Amino acid sequence: MNNSTYQTIRTKVAESQNYINLIYVAPCIYTRNMLLNQLKAKMNEIDFLSGLAFGKMNQMQQNQRDLTLAELAKFNGKDGNPAYVAVNGTVYDVTNNAAWAAASHFGLMAGKDLTSEFASCHGGQSILSKLKVVGKLV
Amino acid sequence: MSMKHNCPEYSARLHTASDLFSKVKNEIRNGTLAKKNLVWLELTGCSGNIISLLDGANPDFKYLISQMTEFVYDNSLMVAEGEAAMDKLMSIIGNDYILAVEGAVATKNNGLYNIIGRWKGEPVTALKAIKMLGEKASHVVALGACATHGGVSAAKPNPAECVSVQSVLNRKVIKLPGCPCHPDWFLGTLAHILLYGEPELDSRDRPLLFYSTLIHDRCPRRSFFDKGIFAKKLGESTCMFKLGCRGPVTRIDCSTRKWNQYVNWPIEDDTPCIGCAQFGFPDQMEPFITYNTTRGVKE
Repeated sequence: MNNSTYQTIRTKVAESQNYINLIYVAPCIYTRNMLLNQLKAKMNEIDFLSGLAFGKMNQMQQNQRDLTLAELAKFNGKDGNPAYVAVNGTVYDVTNNAAWAAASHFGLMAGKDLTSEFASCHGGQSILSKLKVVGKLV
Repeated sequence: MSMKHNCPEYSARLHTASDLFSKVKNEIRNGTLAKKNLVWLELTGCSGNIISLLDGANPDFKYLISQMTEFVYDNSLMVAEGEAAMDKLMSIIGNDYILAVEGAVATKNNGLYNIIGRWKGEPVTALKAIKMLGEKASHVVALGACATHGGVSAAKPNPAECVSVQSVLNRKVIKLPGCPCHPDWFLGTLAHILLYGEPELDSRDRPLLFYSTLIHDRCPRRSFFDKGIFAKKLGESTCMFKLGCRGPVTRIDCSTRKWNQYVNWPIEDDTPCIGCAQFGFPDQMEPFITYNTTRGVKE
């Protein structure tokens, strides 16, 4: 693990601890929920960074494969096929993602390249790091 | 949750509307709070929200119209009809009033697809009425899916070209999505307006009092989701995620508040959440039920 990743992880842990301290004294449940959401986001960042640091990403990449748009279309989350979606050239597995009930999300179906849809709703959010990467879109 | 150990937060949540209401009731009795005019405008919808409101318990509807507010106009419930009713509606302009709106705004042919009445011989379209009354109200509260984001009225193919109330008004509109809106969400918001003014809103103008957590966050079946135990058909008591439950994307408190005066709610009655309180309902929440979703994937 290089030093800067280690420092970033330590910073994130310190920030998480700060959130936990704030949750103890949160004046109401709404503030508390907001802090819990922020804590959740921090933990995802830590998870992502530690995955990077320990080379998990490299291991995962060995199992990855290249998919064309036509091949991706088969992974629609129906009848035994997993649910995959592509964003910015990377293919993610959303089969068991809570926001993808019945392999659909706000009218969007799995098995598609959703780069522009993702950008219009979730641009700037670090939520993709939570998803399992299965390959690249070619 | 064990019934022996009542969680204080659970009970506090159930009483958000009644706590606010009892404060209103006290202040009105003491004469420290003045009644405000309330206008209930129905545009392009199904009257579902006013019917839902009649089921309210905190306060009940009778108290709302007689003690808490001066209930000026509602086309479904008022005694006056025809031009006399429209006179009453128009007489409010120039006074201080809170405007509650249900139903979307039909915009096709300059709003001619929905005429809510005739005044001085001229047809008054929903579009004209909301523009006229919306800009001058002290607060505008849009209730239900149609008023907040177009909802069912704006579902494909949307022949009347319906849009949300916000789309035609250049001002803050408090939004209470839901199909229909729970009486507590409206009455709690109204009580808050009377007591303290506008409640704290999220980035999409929904009161945090009611719209701060996802159904999924407080779902009694959440542990089944976390363990990956999914119902295969309706009637099973496990997580309905694979059948298409929209609880994970729907931000509202049904899982703790429940419906019909706090008796039950869809998931406890073995029906998946269809996301009726989320923006984009119904088109973006479909399919409501699916049976061929992939469950286990063989690696």
